[in-house]
Amino acid sequence: MTEEVKAATAVVMGAKFWIATAIFVLVYGLIIADKIHKTILAIVGATTMIVLRIVTQEDAFHNMDLGVDWNVIFLLISMMIIINIMRPTGVFEYIAIKSAKVAKGRPFAIMAIFSVVTAVVSAFLDNVTTVLLIAPVTLLICQALDLDVVPFLITEAIASNIGGTATLIGDPPNIMIASKAQLDFMDFVYNLTPVIIVVLIAYVITIKFIFGKRLTVKEELRQRVMAMNENEAIKDPLLLKKCLAVLAVTVTGFIFHGMLHYEPATIALAGAALLLLVSGTKEPHHILAECEWATLFFFMGLFMIIGGVVKVGLIQWMAIKVLDITQGNLFGTTTVILWFSAFASAFIDNIPYVATMNPLVIDMAKQLWPGVTGLNLLHHPDLMPIWWALALGACLGGNGTMIGASANVVVCGMAEKMGKPISFKQFMLYGMPLMIESVIICHVYIWLRYYVMKI
Amino acid sequence: MKAKDLMITVTEYLKPDHTLKDAVNLLKVAQRGEERVGVKGLPVLDEAGKLVGMLSMRDILKAVHPAYMNMMELGDFTWDGMLEEMAKKITDKKVFTLMTRDVTTVKEDAPLMDCVDLMVKKNIKRLPVVDKTGKVIGMLYERDVFFAIVKAMLNENTGGGK
Repeated sequence: MTEEVKAATAVVMGAKFWIATAIFVLVYGLIIADKIHKTILAIVGATTMIVLRIVTQEDAFHNMDLGVDWNVIFLLISMMIIINIMRPTGVFEYIAIKSAKVAKGRPFAIMAIFSVVTAVVSAFLDNVTTVLLIAPVTLLICQALDLDVVPFLITEAIASNIGGTATLIGDPPNIMIASKAQLDFMDFVYNLTPVIIVVLIAYVITIKFIFGKRLTVKEELRQRVMAMNENEAIKDPLLLKKCLAVLAVTVTGFIFHGMLHYEPATIALAGAALLLLVSGTKEPHHILAECEWATLFFFMGLFMIIGGVVKVGLIQWMAIKVLDITQGNLFGTTTVILWFSAFASAFIDNIPYVATMNPLVIDMAKQLWPGVTGLNLLHHPDLMPIWWALALGACLGGNGTMIGASANVVVCGMAEKMGKPISFKQFMLYGMPLMIESVIICHVYIWLRYYVMKI
Repeated sequence: MKAKDLMITVTEYLKPDHTLKDAVNLLKVAQRGEERVGVKGLPVLDEAGKLVGMLSMRDILKAVHPAYMNMMELGDFTWDGMLEEMAKKITDKKVFTLMTRDVTTVKEDAPLMDCVDLMVKKNIKRLPVVDKTGKVIGMLYERDVFFAIVKAMLNENTGGGK
């Protein structure tokens, strides 16, 4: 294998190579420095790649390997549209209030149920959206029960990152991996959902040990929660029924998209289109304007920047280096990818990380199996565990620190607004051990499933 | 008529480091000119007498209104006594943390229509009137502008008012 690697090492390190590398390093460095908004950096980096003719505009706009992955962009836009229409129905308030009542106002029960609900909702919706929907109700419930809200917010953010890992549509890294590796919704359900269920159970048990004893509530305060009538949350029952019907159709579409040979974005866009039509939306301006355009442009910019460093061979060079380190040992490579992804994602945004790793994994595969192409290469049995390791590491790694995942950033922002700021150290104290626990579980799972049982 | 013809001279004002308790006490007793009507908002002046903000009744309402209630529709899930609980919590907060900082002012010789323009477009009920040096010399109230309009409609005012 090493001879083949050496044979393919011919990366030409010319002027373009160094210019593209400099743009890439500079943009990523500035994103980490967090002084200029990351979306602006991504757009500036992307246009620089085009202006300096590292990639052509044709590459950037129309070539999925060297430019914008529209599958990812349209999947995200479509899910945002669906949420924007669904939000005013009050269904999310309903679910949260109902959960608190099911827990009978007992604090740990609320924490556990909110975590599980957050995880399940996150599996289908964007993590930030989920947290933005559950956290305000959490703040209200904590106020009613006179509880410190910080542990609740932290556990919800972590739960949302765990839940988001379970499906193709749950977290952007998975959407990106699915698109690049041409994996379908059910591939994720078969390969990631089982281990995420285990991780979630372990998580709830762990937070029981951490917080269980500390949380107590006066009996009379519990009555405040029990007196809430969740049915009052539903503002528009007819629209809610329509939303739930369309959501059911969309999820069914996701389940069968692989079989029907449709891309996930097609399914999501069809769902959004159907909901726009049946919801009786007269003026779509607001619904479309409320999509998170800054995030979407961040993705677009990153795709073009990565396109540049792929084209000049930087990613190929990095892939060869990774294989040098692991000596081509596949379980070793999987292990490195899983743990490196986890720690990298704990400190940097997992979106640029995965945007870089996707082509790197493909280049690695090309080095390992030079004659194989197309789906045979992308879905090579020995490559599959690497894709799953990347997804699990990148998604769960976000739990390590308060800057590791957008959901964490959002809850910390809310805590600060409520006059209860969460420090970097305080978040890490809970997040890091919980992240390591989840990655250990995933490591054991990958080893058992793909290298021992080989199923 | 100009802003200075209708304004009421400022006698009561808040300081940025007053507590909300001080502020509401002053709001309760402060009078609008000669009429015995409590004011709904007061200017906040720093030690040099410079206008740094405004604190109104609405700001006090906003102060007891938890931020999370702006994020979602949660009004149906509040409880009796919540308002009083929140009110106790904010007693010692400082005026500068809650005041409106971006205050629109008018010059003393601004025409009344200019003032109405600002009141309508920016939904302002109280406009601080400043002199040439930028010092606050009075307040122009929506209500007094209204009376000026009433006067004009009933032909009690010849307009132009030299």
